[in-house]
Amino acid sequence: MTANARRLTPAALERLVVPTEPWLSCEDCFEAMDGYVDALLADASTPAPAMDVHLAACPACAEEAVSLIILVADDNNNDPEPALRRIRRLA
Amino acid sequence: MGDQAADVDRATASAEPRDWVAALTTPGRERDKALRDLHGLMLRAARHQVWRMRPMLGNAGHDTCEELANQAADDALATLLAKVHTFGGRSRFTTWAYKFAILQAATEVRRQAWRKREISLDDAEVWPDVHAGPEQHAEAADLATAVSRAMVVALTGHQRRIAVALLVDGVPIDVLADRLGTSRGALYKTLHEARTRLRRHLAGTGHLPGATEVGGP
Repeated sequence: MTANARRLTPAALERLVVPTEPWLSCEDCFEAMDGYVDALLADASTPAPAMDVHLAACPACAEEAVSLIILVADDNNNDPEPALRRIRRLA
Repeated sequence: MGDQAADVDRATASAEPRDWVAALTTPGRERDKALRDLHGLMLRAARHQVWRMRPMLGNAGHDTCEELANQAADDALATLLAKVHTFGGRSRFTTWAYKFAILQAATEVRRQAWRKREISLDDAEVWPDVHAGPEQHAEAADLATAVSRAMVVALTGHQRRIAVALLVDGVPIDVLADRLGTSRGALYKTLHEARTRLRRHLAGTGHLPGATEVGGP
């Protein structure tokens, strides 16, 4: 083992092999995020497979989606929990 | 947050429907008011994001957080105004607007949190974690060993370095993009290709179900 070798934790292992199909770029995720969040707050079971896959594979986009859900729900006195549960299940 | 200004911003946000695009693109008093209101909304979203991620900032105080939020709100507003004609109405306008401020604020916080941290992009070996504990049963340990091998034989050096930095070392993707002079999207594409190669290799060795992933960007 070299001096710079890294340990592969179970969490890192999951991150390495998570599926990323159907493909969606970070830019396309950003484009779609507002519609996705409004749709999930209206009905947390709304199908959005490409967004779901991307958010499971991209922690930065997932953090921003979670944050947007909480903020928009607060504006509209919605319960964010069903939408948040869906995102948490992806992770 | 939670002060009077935040309550006003929340009231502005919930006051839709309002034709924001017309208000923001028609010169006059209405545009000035819309710009003030929109800046308030961007600041609300940027504050929300900065405070969510505050633990990343260590001992950062209220003033530092406010400074970050204000800068992010200003930058996000400028970005939004350049794209306001692209608003397609697939969501409420405020939801669309907030995402710009959240992205900008999150990026700023990550950059600030990592500004003094060195990022190693060496072509490191990756070894299964032998101290992972009893929950890591034999099957998972076998997969970990297989992934370690696959990273050597299935990935290019560049893919391996990016995958290790982002997925093993936990460097935020926009921080790494900044350091490398590239974009979040370009790094995510590299990760996608690396993951696809890993999964295909692992399917071939029987460690994952059949390789169904084809295509890509």
